[in-house]
Amino acid sequence: MKAKRTLRIARWETARSFGSVDRKTAVILLAIVLLLAALAPALVAVNPTPGADLYRVGVSDSHPYHDVVSQDRRLQAVDPRTSSLEEGTIDVLVTQSRVVVTETEKSQAAAGVLRESIVAYNDRLMARETDQAAAFPVTVTLSYAEQTNLVDYTGDTGQQSADGETDDSGSELGTTTDTAALQTTKTSPSGDQQTPTPTDGATDSSRTSSQESISGTETAGDSKETDTPGATTVSGGYSGRNTDDGPLSGLFGSGQAGTPSGITPPFPLESLLLAFAFLLPFNFVIQAYGSSVIAERINRRGEPLLVAPVSRGDIIIGKALPYFVGSLGITAGIAFVLGGSVRSIVAIAPIAALFIAATFVAGMLSRSYKELTFSTVTISVVLTGYAFLPAVFAEVHPIAAISPLTIVVNDLQGASVGVGTFVLGTLPATLSAGVLLALGAGLYREEDLFTRRPLPAKALDALAAPLRSRFRVGLWTALFIPFVLVAELMAVAALFVLPVSLSIPLLLAVLAIVEEVAKSLHIYAGYRRGRFKTDRSNAIVLGISSGVGFFLAEKILGITQLVGLPNLDIGRAAFGPDILGLSTIGLLFAPLLLHSVTAAISALGARESRNRYFIGLIFAALIHLAYNLVVVSSLG
Amino acid sequence: MDRRLRLAVRELASLRSEKTIILAIVIQLFIAAFSSFLVVGLVSLSDPGSTAGSYDITIGISGEASEELQRIVETGDAMEPVVFDDRGAAMTAFADRRVDAVIHTKASDDGRIHADAVAPDGDFRTTLIVTQLKSALSEIEREKRAALTHRLERTPLTVPEQSDSSPYFGFTYTVLIPVLVFLPAFISGSIASDSIAEELERGTFELLRVAPLSVPDIIDGKSLTMVAIAPAQAGTWLFLLALDGTKIVHPGAILALVTGLTGLLVVLGAALALTIEKRREAQLSFSLLSLGLFGATFLLPENLSNLVAKLAIGSPTVVSAVTLVGTIVVAGTGYWFVRNRLSARIGP
Repeated sequence: MKAKRTLRIARWETARSFGSVDRKTAVILLAIVLLLAALAPALVAVNPTPGADLYRVGVSDSHPYHDVVSQDRRLQAVDPRTSSLEEGTIDVLVTQSRVVVTETEKSQAAAGVLRESIVAYNDRLMARETDQAAAFPVTVTLSYAEQTNLVDYTGDTGQQSADGETDDSGSELGTTTDTAALQTTKTSPSGDQQTPTPTDGATDSSRTSSQESISGTETAGDSKETDTPGATTVSGGYSGRNTDDGPLSGLFGSGQAGTPSGITPPFPLESLLLAFAFLLPFNFVIQAYGSSVIAERINRRGEPLLVAPVSRGDIIIGKALPYFVGSLGITAGIAFVLGGSVRSIVAIAPIAALFIAATFVAGMLSRSYKELTFSTVTISVVLTGYAFLPAVFAEVHPIAAISPLTIVVNDLQGASVGVGTFVLGTLPATLSAGVLLALGAGLYREEDLFTRRPLPAKALDALAAPLRSRFRVGLWTALFIPFVLVAELMAVAALFVLPVSLSIPLLLAVLAIVEEVAKSLHIYAGYRRGRFKTDRSNAIVLGISSGVGFFLAEKILGITQLVGLPNLDIGRAAFGPDILGLSTIGLLFAPLLLHSVTAAISALGARESRNRYFIGLIFAALIHLAYNLVVVSSLG
Repeated sequence: MDRRLRLAVRELASLRSEKTIILAIVIQLFIAAFSSFLVVGLVSLSDPGSTAGSYDITIGISGEASEELQRIVETGDAMEPVVFDDRGAAMTAFADRRVDAVIHTKASDDGRIHADAVAPDGDFRTTLIVTQLKSALSEIEREKRAALTHRLERTPLTVPEQSDSSPYFGFTYTVLIPVLVFLPAFISGSIASDSIAEELERGTFELLRVAPLSVPDIIDGKSLTMVAIAPAQAGTWLFLLALDGTKIVHPGAILALVTGLTGLLVVLGAALALTIEKRREAQLSFSLLSLGLFGATFLLPENLSNLVAKLAIGSPTVVSAVTLVGTIVVAGTGYWFVRNRLSARIGP
């Protein structure tokens, strides 16, 4: 592989992509882009609410709640005289004295929204009071602290707080106390009531509105409707002040100060937005890249390139490079807009590479454009799901850390990222991208490029192609470890909601299956493609090679310890025993023995037929599961 | 057999033989599983009622308003108070994990209470704990406010009792169902474009043209399969959700909407492929254009995503009915227009 040739192919790919667009296509694309550009500000102005008018509230015009209902976009006000709860034409009925609901989930949810809405309405009402101390008689400073004995907590912070030095107590607890918190506690005791003066109110509304645009539905439309003086402080002049160093700050659990209703529990769903912002453009990039890969394969168009004096690596890397660089450029732009640093870009790069590598494999495997479309959508969905992990587990930092997006979140917050976190977040994705590229490269040859064979057959080709020696079997098992890691972490993520008594056995079963498949699938592929001698002793040697490769690579997995993943009950079940069990020689070699034996069993099945392989695999997985159960119960 | 039908059957056979439709189902299964997992997870993390007492939290209380706070926490759902003499003792208990959170209160001369709340960092119960802290502090705020009404010019409205609703009940209707019913429509449009682009690039489109088929026939035939599979998928999802206990009030109307929308997207995909003749550019234009069109529907008085949510949850308004009928009429006319327009440009 030569850098010069790779670059030449990259230039050629770029030139061809732009050069081949005819005028008609260019006009169409330009028109669509202009349409999108015009649409964005219009959408921002309209600010659509997905949950608009979802619940119907029967409330008479004269009732004080009528105002509340008509100001909340999620609620429809319906005349109670023409509708009834029994017929289901309303979900909640407001009578003079109380709120009537039915047993249905919808009715209960509607009552919940109505209650929330009334609380918000009261806060807006109270924000207009001159005596803010009576209107908001409770102020809160919320901070987060680790529950460890290592914190030497001494000193009476109650006293310090009165002196306006809450930030000291905050840093003692190892938390970040923002400037807003400092402001609040400083001024309040001195009797300055923080009444929303016009100037103060103006800055507040700009702050709160940036918050609302993210937290969504409830008060977004209200600012227009309540245009009474002073009411510019939409969610109660005094509530929910977060630090304002980025549009997403404060959403991931930094300290807060304000009134009780201004407290927002760390709500992970917001980082979905972040994932979308970064990942959406990749969908377009991989569409273009996938098309370029598969177009080579139609009508033998790629043949001249194949016979040109360049290596496969040159062609593959060269063709992918422009798309990768383009992805990085887009990422840099988004990071710049969101206020991220170079760290964000470096963290996203492996995801971009993974998108492109997976698309390369999909492009090599697909028989038609249709199939490629399905494959690329699958890639987008699965990889986006992988990146979403921090969204679901924003609070469970150890698990969230495997997604590069966690680094981005931390970066946007201005928090520091440890080396361990950075490695754990980026390494699996980087390695997976590399392995996928290598697998796809195995297919970059005439007999696979220009034929339309079924997907599973080609997948076997790809797996079998690099198995040139028995040593390579172990090597490839080791290379599959990142996928195993990702699959296992996804399983941990999916199962951790269940009670421990159920989740741990289930998880152990999933782990056994995933690991056994990773150790044997390529051996099976090798046998089907006639790469190995079919005698029994050779199968055992292949199994041992695979088992040793797995064992060694799993030891490298020790990096999960750097971020404290084994501290989590379920995390310990998945990754603990092997790592924690290093104390005795027996426990060091037990997993080695296990991995070799089970892989040999699968290999013995694989050498005969597909059905025998499945039987061998199931048998191996059962042994593995039994071993896991013993280890987990004995290590407690 | 109708020639168009024959083409449609051929398309279906090609989808079946490639088994790619299975991938499409897998994608949607992944989304559905992930979202419902998200909902279940979020509910159990933040709704004290739904965890059925398995996550009762203990709040350490210290400072001047301890008495009131203790009473409120005692009456609250799924939380227990422990009173400490000073903040240091409470924080030691917090560090020892004897309490889950700490509230230290201090009264000031103007009648205000300053609460210093500490919640655990990086724990999966954090959301739940903060929600509980918020509910206790909101309660004390309401009480104090009621006691200070003489200092206020406006009277706050009475807040009704808390209902046992899940805060994420709406998520299924506003996010999950719209995604699941619209995604098949977009995929259909995309593969319609692929199907034609591939015939053009492989040169097999000419073979179709020499067959006794007009261009509108080809478009109809190719579209029929794509239009049929989208509501079939969406319908399956609605059925599965209904089995799972999610009540879908107007499934028929939702499917009608999906069919109309798919028809429009499919004919747009086909038109772009026939005009541009290259897969990559056609796909790119299609995804951007469909994204733009879908975005544009958010400018309607009632956007389509919201329409689906309302139909599913059972709160349609007159505007919903108008939007539904309007969308289907526009989609049908659009289909007819593009189909005939193309045949005029390309020849019969």
